Parts: sequence; C-alpha cells; structure tokens
Amino acid sequence: MRNSLLLFLCAACFALPLRADVLADALVRYADGEFAQAAKLFEQALEFSAPRAAVFFELGRSQRQNGQDAAAALSFRRALILDPRFAPARAALEDTNADLAIPRTPPGWKQRVLDHVSLDALVLAGTVLLWIGAFLLAILVFRRAPARRLPLAFAILCLAFGCASLALSWICDPRISQRTDAIVLTTGGTNLLSAPADQSEKVARIPEGGLVKILSQRGRWFYGQTPAGQRGWLLTQGIVPVIPPA
Amino acid sequence: MKYCLAFLTLAFLTASTLSAQEIVAGLSSNSAAVGEPVQLVVTVRGARGADVPDNLSVNGLRINLAGRSTQFEMRNFKMSSTLTYTYIVVPQVEGDFTIPSFDVTIEGKTYRTQAMRLSVSGSARAPQMPSLPQYQVPSGPPGGSMPPPSSNDNARPYFAEMILSKKTAYVGEVVPVELRFYFHSRIGGQVGERPNFSGEGFTVQKFSNAVKREQVVDDTSYVVFTFQSAITAVKSGTLEIPAASLEARLNLPGNRPQGFDDFFSNLPIPQGMFNETQEVTIETKAQSLEVLPLPKEGRPDDFGGAVGKFTMDASVSPKKAEAGEPVTLTAKIAGRGNFDGMSAPTLTNDEGWRSYPPTDQFQANDAINFTGEKKFDFALVAREDQSATPGIRFSYFDPSSGKYETLVQAPLPVTAKAGSSAAGAPAPGPAPSQPQAGTTPPPVNPAATPDIAIMAGGSSSWQSLFFRKEFLIANACLALAWLALVIGFSLRNFSHSASGQRLARRRQARSALADLRSASPETFYAEVSRFLALRLNVPEDSVTEKITMSDLPDPVRAGVLALLEKHAEAKFAAGAAVPPSADERQEALAQLQQLDAACHEK
Repeated sequence: MRNSLLLFLCAACFALPLRADVLADALVRYADGEFAQAAKLFEQALEFSAPRAAVFFELGRSQRQNGQDAAAALSFRRALILDPRFAPARAALEDTNADLAIPRTPPGWKQRVLDHVSLDALVLAGTVLLWIGAFLLAILVFRRAPARRLPLAFAILCLAFGCASLALSWICDPRISQRTDAIVLTTGGTNLLSAPADQSEKVARIPEGGLVKILSQRGRWFYGQTPAGQRGWLLTQGIVPVIPPA
Repeated sequence: MKYCLAFLTLAFLTASTLSAQEIVAGLSSNSAAVGEPVQLVVTVRGARGADVPDNLSVNGLRINLAGRSTQFEMRNFKMSSTLTYTYIVVPQVEGDFTIPSFDVTIEGKTYRTQAMRLSVSGSARAPQMPSLPQYQVPSGPPGGSMPPPSSNDNARPYFAEMILSKKTAYVGEVVPVELRFYFHSRIGGQVGERPNFSGEGFTVQKFSNAVKREQVVDDTSYVVFTFQSAITAVKSGTLEIPAASLEARLNLPGNRPQGFDDFFSNLPIPQGMFNETQEVTIETKAQSLEVLPLPKEGRPDDFGGAVGKFTMDASVSPKKAEAGEPVTLTAKIAGRGNFDGMSAPTLTNDEGWRSYPPTDQFQANDAINFTGEKKFDFALVAREDQSATPGIRFSYFDPSSGKYETLVQAPLPVTAKAGSSAAGAPAPGPAPSQPQAGTTPPPVNPAATPDIAIMAGGSSSWQSLFFRKEFLIANACLALAWLALVIGFSLRNFSHSASGQRLARRRQARSALADLRSASPETFYAEVSRFLALRLNVPEDSVTEKITMSDLPDPVRAGVLALLEKHAEAKFAAGAAVPPSADERQEALAQLQQLDAACHEK
C-alpha cells in the first residue's frame, strides 16, 4: 500500500512538469514556425491531460498555419464547446469557415445566452435554488406554521427559478446539444446519399469542414442531417465527432 | 549531300507553315516607383515581322521601344517563330496609369493589344539595382531551349554576376540582391529553375521567378536569366556572401569533321548539327557586405525588430459595440523592410479594454516581400464603457537615417459597452501570425506567443455538469436528505393524529398483554388492570365502570369483572389476596384475549 502511494506520488510529480514541458515546447515550436510539430505536441498535451479550450485553440491555430483548415475548424469548435465565451476561438472559427467556403451561421438565442452567463454557474445556481425551494417547501407544508404565505411564495419562486435555470442550461449546453454533431474532414468534402449504397442518389454535398448531425449508424454508413435540414447517408470515413468519444 | 539538301528543303517548307498568329502584351510589374523602369513586352507568335509604334504616349509615363528579337525554333521538323518587342516604361509622376491598347500590324492585318494598368508610388521606392545595358528580348521561361551556337564564336559562352543593392547594411535590414546568368545567345540548352545560394550569417528570401531577356555585352548578344531575392544579415561585422550558382545543361559547340567547313561553308547548315550537351555549373563571384549593429542609443522600449521605412494607418470596426461584443482595431504597416521579422505594434491607453492576440496578414507588392503592407487585427472587448479605442505605437529603425522612428496612432472614436463575456477568455498578449490559406505562414516572433497558462477558461470536461459523478452524488445526497425530511415530518404528523394515537394505544395494549405472560404472581392482577385501561383507553379507576357499561358478550364481561375484583382484593387487602395459580393465569389470559378480539371487532 505504501509503495503504491509512493509510486503514485512520483508519477504525479513527473507527469505535471512533463505536461507543462510539452505545452511550452509546443508554444516554442509554434513561435519558430514549426507548425506541424507544434500541432503534434498540442495533441500530445491534450492526450495526457484534461481538455482545455486554450490548448484546443492553440492546436487549431497550429493546424491552420499548417494548412489543415478542416482540422483547425474542428479544434476551434472543440475550444468553443469547452468555453462557449472564448471570443478569439469564435473569430478564428469564422475565419476558417470562410476559407473553407462554409456559410456563416448567425448566432442564435442560445449563443446569446451563453455570451452573457457561464453555463456551469447557471447549473450550480439552478441546483442551489431548486434545493432551497424544495427543502423550504417541505418544511412549510409539514410544519403548518401560522403566517407562512410569504415564505411559501419565496420557496415556490426558488423552486421555479431553479427548475428554469436547469432547463435553460440543459438546452444551451453545447456538450448536450452538440453531442451528435460531427465534422467532415474528408478532403474535398463528402456526399450525402439517399441510401446507404455507393451508387445511390446524391442528396447534397457536405464541404470539407462542414457540420453534420449524426442520427444513427449502420455499418460503415452514418445517417445524418445537415444544418440545412437535409437528411441522408454518408460514409463514416473522415467524419469525426465534435465531442471526442470517451 | 542528298540528305542535306532534302533536310534543307524540308526545313524551308515547314518554315513557311508557321503556326497561327497571336499577340500577347504584358508589363513586367504592375507597380513601380517614380523613375523605376518597367518592361512592356509585346510577343508576336506565328509571324516573321510586325509593325509596332516606336513609342507610346501616356501622360506621366515615358514609353519607348527598346529592342526587338526574333526566335525561331524547330521541333519535330515544325518551325515556330516568336517576335518580341520590348518597351521601357519609365514613370515620371506618382499615380495610377492605364496604358491604352495599341495597333500591331502583321502582314497587313491589324491586331490590338490589351490595355494595361500600372500603379506608380512616389515614396516607397525600392532601392534601385544597377541599371542594365539596353537589352533586347525576353522570351520564354527558364528551361526553354535556345538556338545552338556557332562554333567559331570566341566570346565567353556563359558567365554570371551577383549585384547587391548596397555594400553596407544594418543587422535585420533587407538588402535586395540580383543574380544574373548570361548565356551566349547562340547557345542552346536548359537551365535550372532556381539558383543555389545560401551562407552563414544571413537569411535569404525565396527567389522570384526568372526574367529572361537579351543583353549585349562587349558587342556580343547574351540571353540573361535574372533572379531577384533579398538577404538579411543576422549579425554585425563583415559578411562574406558566397558565390551563387545555377545548374544548366548546354549545347556547346563540338568539333566538326575535318574539311566540313570548306565544303559546306556557303550552305545554310542547320545550327547545332555538331553540338555536344554538357552539364555545367555557372557561378557568380563571392561578395562581401559590411553589417553594422543596430544602435542601442535611442532604441524605443517597444522596438520589435522592424528595420526599413514604414507608415502606419489604423481603423476600427464596428464603431459601436454592445456589451461583450468585440471590436477590431486594425493597424496597417506599409512601406519597405523586413516584414517577416517585425512584431505587432503595441497598444497604448488600453486600460478598460481586454485585448486578444492580433492576427496578421501580409500583402507583398513585389516578388521578394520587400515592399508591401502588413495588417494587424486586434480583437478588443470593453471591460468598462468606452468612447475611444486604445492608441497604437509602432517603432522601427530607419537605415537611411540611421535612427529609430516611432509611429503613433491616436485613439479612434468608438462606442463600446462594458461586457462580461471576456471573463473566461485569454489575457491580452501580442500575437503570433495567422496567415491566409494558401500563403506561406510568416515566422512568428517568440515573444509574441500568448501565455497558455493564463488562457485557462471554460470547462475541462466533455461531460456536461449534469452527467458528472460529483454533481450526481451531491444531488442524490440532497434528494435523500429531502426525502428523509419529508418522511420524518409525515410520521410526526401521523403520530399526532387520532388514528395514529389509537394505533399507538393498541400497540401498547398488546405489549402489556405480552407482559402479562411473564408477570410475577404478585403483580399479575395489577398488570391486568393496566392492560384493560390501555385497551379501553380509560383511566385505571374507570375500567370497572367501562366494562360494566360495555356491550361485550356476557361471559367475557363477567370474566373480566372477576379479574378486576381480584385486582381490588390484591390492592386493598394485600394480606388476604391469594396469588393466581397457573390455571387461573391461563384462564385470565384467555378472557383478556377474547376482550381484545371483541374490542378489535368493534
């Protein structure tokens, strides 16, 4: 037991500087113009540590400098999923999409909500309000105390606001709403077909770096939907989920 | 002899069947400085002659015909000809000019060239290369074949020279360099795409595409391939610039059979009949450049390595920003110098703003990235309500004056509301470059790399908070606590209700009945009385009355009353009381059970 603990502590001591070194090395490589190497190092840093919006942003910039625009778009999207208020990542994604000739999507109401409030803070606030309301309501209902109208109204308000906050967080959270989104990394894009067969009729063309919502999978085919609402089948090859699989 | 005559006949026949006529006109550069000559080349294909004007009249430009050349080429017994007319265009004043289309007459037929545009700048004039002697014919790209030489030409078949635009430069200063490779006009062959040129202590820009032209040197006509580039010294001292070289495969004159010249001297023998192909390397001479260090005196704190001559312009967009909405402050640095080595301008008076690393974009005006414009876009988010952008400051070293210069841009008016959206975004820092797709990414200043450690923001998990273990456990605990509270309150309320109390009494009575079985003989009847009081929910002294008044079955009532009498005896005449026997206890318990059952039925 003691040996295991020692081993763990040693590993932790080495792992942290190692990760910092990889990031520092990646930044130096980027500064030296070695973008391909910098991208590899950023990927390595992400592989061995928790995902961070800033690292994905740097990875995207390295990939973009390296001419991998679709991969860069994926990295910027991932940065924005982790931190929806990361303005530079959003600007970089718009630039990249413009270069990939992907039409700009105007920000919806969800984005405007996320611009003004932190998602995790909203969830925590909603949770706290919900439980305060629930406990208060239980106490007031069972205690049958006199003059309890005002506290009761307060409890109901807390409960309502808590539920609303949690519902809003659920709807706006890109980690939930984009959990089935994928991006096309295939060079030149891919075809959306009417049936899961190579020779079937083409429904639409999804450009390289384009977004598609995956609805189901059958063998080497995905059934997906484009942002324009067109549904069809596309080959799984070169389609990468925006949220990496666990 | 027969074969030679047949060959010549065939050549003349094919020469008369030239390919279709075609005219192409173009400028060697679409931009120039005042006094900087530009070539206007008119290429006529498929004709042996053409009438072109000797000069063109355009206000502000001096355009004169400089020369004409003809090139015949025979491939697979098919003859093609190219006539090239070269004009020298010398801008007289600054401005944008249109050189109008003009007539070219070929064998009585009139063709018109297309109009061309030329932009002439007055201030940002690149250093001039030493002027060339009047040259004649630019024709095809490098790699094209040239007519073979005559073996009796004693001029040098090829040579090269390197021309530096200056002999003294500062560290970091861009020095344009031109490499010229001369080939005798009658030598055929092919040359490499790019010269070999590198060395220690300086960096070399990529070479421009070769310009091919004709030039007369010492009364001998040469075809000249010119490559332009620029070098940047990285350390001070005398910089030895090694020779540049170009690989070529040339058709050099070989030996003719003895007596051949005597016999065929009066016949038009095809050129190249006795040539031999040789791989050669043509080298320039090495040069030296005196490199001065950048002076420490007067160096501004914000000096970021820019050396040259620059101007700055700035703009902001949008002019009005809502809370949290970024505005883009654009600084345009134009002029000539080391655009690759310069870092971004610095922002001044940026309190109350959150700035993000700027992106940059370079638009070169020449092939060697010496003149052009570099655009820096700063994304800014107001942390407080703002009515003006930060100012911009850019310092550079001017090698012509030997002094540092600082360009200052005053804050621009803008209306920006304070927003909180920048809370989790990266802290300000100068920027690495972000080039356009399809262009070579410029080098990034290491000092301009944002600190990733301070860019922490947002979540560090792909799982929503809703699905995270700690969130679920905390909520499960709270839910259990809430459930316990609700159950506790419910039980408490139930115990205070009538039915709850009745249930409690029944439970106590059953407990008392169970106690009777183990009660000592002395306390047996007292326990009986307690059980009855609990079961009937009356005080012990009212039990007899309650039993008497009850509608219990007579045998039960009589039996219970008898037990109560025995209890009274034991209570009030302790000495006379006789403890119950085992049979009496059994009988008493049976009667009490009957009473309990009878009460329960009711």
